[in-house]
Amino acid sequence: MQETSASYAPKLTLASIVDALNTQSRVIGALVLRETKTRYGEHKLGFLWAVLEPIMMVSIFVALFSALRSDNPSGMPLVTFMLTGIVPFTLFRSTMQQMQGAISSNKQLFAFPQVTTFDVIIARGILEVLILAGVFAFLILMVDISLVEVRIESPLGVLAGCCLLAMMGLGMGFAFASISPLMPSIRQVSSALLGRPLFLSSGLFFTVGSVPQPFREYMLYNPITHVLECLRSSFFYEFESPYGDWGYATIWAVTMLAAGLLIHQAMRRRAIVGL
Amino acid sequence: MIKLVNITKRYRTSAGVNTVLNNVNLTFPVGKSVGILGLNGAGKSTLIRIIGDAEPPDTGFVVSKGRVSWPLGYTGGFQTNLTARENARFVARIYGESTEYVEAFTQEFSELDEYFDEPLRSYSAGMRARFAFSVSLACNFEYYLVDEALETGDARYREKFRLAFEERRAHASVILVSHNEQTIRRNCDMAAILHDGNLTLYDDLKEALQFYSFLQTRAA
Repeated sequence: MQETSASYAPKLTLASIVDALNTQSRVIGALVLRETKTRYGEHKLGFLWAVLEPIMMVSIFVALFSALRSDNPSGMPLVTFMLTGIVPFTLFRSTMQQMQGAISSNKQLFAFPQVTTFDVIIARGILEVLILAGVFAFLILMVDISLVEVRIESPLGVLAGCCLLAMMGLGMGFAFASISPLMPSIRQVSSALLGRPLFLSSGLFFTVGSVPQPFREYMLYNPITHVLECLRSSFFYEFESPYGDWGYATIWAVTMLAAGLLIHQAMRRRAIVGL
Repeated sequence: MIKLVNITKRYRTSAGVNTVLNNVNLTFPVGKSVGILGLNGAGKSTLIRIIGDAEPPDTGFVVSKGRVSWPLGYTGGFQTNLTARENARFVARIYGESTEYVEAFTQEFSELDEYFDEPLRSYSAGMRARFAFSVSLACNFEYYLVDEALETGDARYREKFRLAFEERRAHASVILVSHNEQTIRRNCDMAAILHDGNLTLYDDLKEALQFYSFLQTRAA
């Protein structure tokens, strides 16, 4: 026997909290499965595309940069250098972009009282982060097997860097997802004003040290740059960045996630009515 | 038991504020199937969505004991690019039911045959409703919220549903909204009328239907 009451705070008991958490994890699990089906189910090549896209990106930029300069001043292999920039950055950008349409494309599901806006948004975020983490690990393995030997200096540091980027992506994703039902034009902001400029300026293709002043200073305001510097310092034995600051990046990541969740909390009722 | 306490719901339109539900208080009796009649635009769908906790009221709250279904109808709740099988499994998961049982029951009861593995977007309205009702029957709710009864679909199938609900009468009740008095007469024990933001429950079905036909003629 299950007791529910709408729009009215039930008595908080341990049992009711456990019950609510159970329901929520069930719902999020079901939503992740459902998102997987709608995104990859219709085409057999769906999952392949998730791997092919970063492979293509990395190949293009490796080709471009090896054509531009023959020497490799940083000492890092170009393939792994690009890989450790592009895929972690995608963890931020793609998570943010996948999440932002969550409410409007799942609006039929709000007929089920146990499905909340939080659930549909986080489900997309979880799926994207899991897929990209898998893709990252897979591509590192592939590079190690077929191209250059990969020895990671500090796997924990790489994981921490990925977590920070995922947190930033989740925070932005929550904010955009909650605002976009009321203001659809916000989506252009996320792709045109955030995605592309950050893609070019966050140090995916160069290290902070190789950038002349005063641009180096400007770059260092960007928390993503800090994460990438730190992540590469952890990844490569031959690279140690004096610029990357874990503390600065962590403060940003936590703030972005908290701000995203707060915006969602403030907007969620209006976001549903706005549909 | 489902109890509505001081429920108010307003919508802002370009013409001004439209009060759809004005401080509505009502207790739905246990074991009775209640029909809610209202003219087009009276706020019937809003009301059933609020009862089902799919939409928050502006003020007031709903107290419900027992498992309440989502508002059943022609649309809502389902992703149209997924198949009936996938949607049935999804519903089973979020209600914590056995996915195998719900899937099997729905497949059998809906009689969708080869369409069961086709995306819902290729379904007619009647087929979608058949699917929605079958999934909800598989979940064993104590309250079934129905937004417009199954009016399309052939008579034989309508009868099948009526019997299925009849069978569950002892431990399940239906709350059905409709603008059609025939539907209410066929399926309900008592009726409430939603008019001008007020919801009035009549113990006597006849009395309710009489007042409703008076409303209809006045509106026309």
